[in-house]
Amino acid sequence: MPAFELSLLLSGPYHALLLAGLQVSLALLAVSFAVALPLALLVALAGQAPLAPLRGLAVVFVESQRSVPLLAHLLFWYFGAPELLPPDARQWLYEGDVEFLAAVIALSLYYGAYMAEDIRSGLRAVPVEQLQAARSLGLGFLPAMRHVVLPQAVRITVPPLLSQTLNLWKDTSIATVIGTAELMHQAAKVETESFRSLEAFAFATVCYLAVSLAIAAAAAGCQRRLAPGWRP
Amino acid sequence: MIHRLHRVLLVAALLLPWLNTALADQLDDIRKKGEIVIGVLGTDEPNSFVDPKTRGYIGYEVDLATAIAKKIGVKPVFRQMAVAARIPELQQGRVDLLAASLTHNKEREAQIDFSLTHFITGSKVLVVKRSGVQKLSDLAGRKVLTVKGGTQEPNLKRAVPTAQVVTFENTQQAFQTLRQGKGVGYVNDESSLYSDIGKLGPQASEYVLLPENLNFEPLALGIRKGEKALKAIVDATLREMEANGDAERLYERWWGQQSRLKFAKRTFKFDSDQVAQ
Repeated sequence: MPAFELSLLLSGPYHALLLAGLQVSLALLAVSFAVALPLALLVALAGQAPLAPLRGLAVVFVESQRSVPLLAHLLFWYFGAPELLPPDARQWLYEGDVEFLAAVIALSLYYGAYMAEDIRSGLRAVPVEQLQAARSLGLGFLPAMRHVVLPQAVRITVPPLLSQTLNLWKDTSIATVIGTAELMHQAAKVETESFRSLEAFAFATVCYLAVSLAIAAAAAGCQRRLAPGWRP
Repeated sequence: MIHRLHRVLLVAALLLPWLNTALADQLDDIRKKGEIVIGVLGTDEPNSFVDPKTRGYIGYEVDLATAIAKKIGVKPVFRQMAVAARIPELQQGRVDLLAASLTHNKEREAQIDFSLTHFITGSKVLVVKRSGVQKLSDLAGRKVLTVKGGTQEPNLKRAVPTAQVVTFENTQQAFQTLRQGKGVGYVNDESSLYSDIGKLGPQASEYVLLPENLNFEPLALGIRKGEKALKAIVDATLREMEANGDAERLYERWWGQQSRLKFAKRTFKFDSDQVAQ
């Protein structure tokens, strides 16, 4: 048995399985990120809102998401939550790709909460006088946020948000427990079928590493561009 | 000189019992002793296990071995052994016959001989009745659930390459997913499936077991290599049991509808000692 069979990873059925897994992982990342970021912005704004019940709601959401392991969230959204739906809706859901959907819901909510905290700390880093000054000029809460506070907060928030995205990318692998056919799931499958553990997990490692490094590079780039005084 | 003679004598003395067993016909020895020693697991219902009332061994394989002893005309003596010890105990002559849930496969044929296959087990698929799936090929393109890492998934893929297989950390999660209606079928070992169906209670009527096996695991009795006379009488007894209906009756009693396991109808016969690769 050769020590490392590279050809196994470059073509053939195992290559196809692993590539399909990579696609599902990237789709999980893209869809979850696209849902988590606007959600996080909403929650962060709600956390600063002048209405107390809205602030309370934001705190409850963030704490309930952050205090429970992602694994528990995944199992809940896959095995638990759909059972609460009426039978017809459940049937319709189960005929679709419920493994992917449950993973997206769990990841979006979980990372939505973490990103909301990142945005909140960005908002808090903008001196409170900025908001007060904007309000005293006659701007409402939302316009003051949009035109005065957020543009300053984003600069501070982007690097931690990208680091959270990196965590989101790595945690897509946990979706394997609910049968989502993502990269780790496919790597384990290739291992079972071919007994080529080294090759299968080496492929997964290289993929995770490559995407993680790309996200880290984006973070570094953003940090440079967003620094005060940067001109293209 | 004396030393060398000693050594020769010592080697001869050590080899003597081995030569004795190797040269003599085992069947003659069994007849001379008046008993046949049978290795059983003793903990593997329904093949061989201890009857809580009599403290004796009972079971499907125990009944088969008793019938063989009767045919030879000797008393059966059962000896319990561990799974890993089965083949060495037989090779070293401590038991005459193995009736110990022994899988007959090609690798083991180099070590011991096997009787006719007396039981066939394997993986099967439990499907939701409502899905309309009635045979393996109906699973093409449908969602089938099973456990990660076992032989179940490769076996299913071999039988139905286009089935959409979703796998879980353990069999019970996969089974739960089937119960929730997230797939049409669930793959597991036959005997585990019967215990799963038992857990469904009245809902069991909503599911049906596909008759086809995904793979075959034949069980047979083990005989020391080259004991042709013993193998001949063992196989003759099994053939006779097939002909007079005892084989069917024993299956029904230990595996079938009269048993706790409630396996479906018998789909094999005592007629071959050959196994596939």
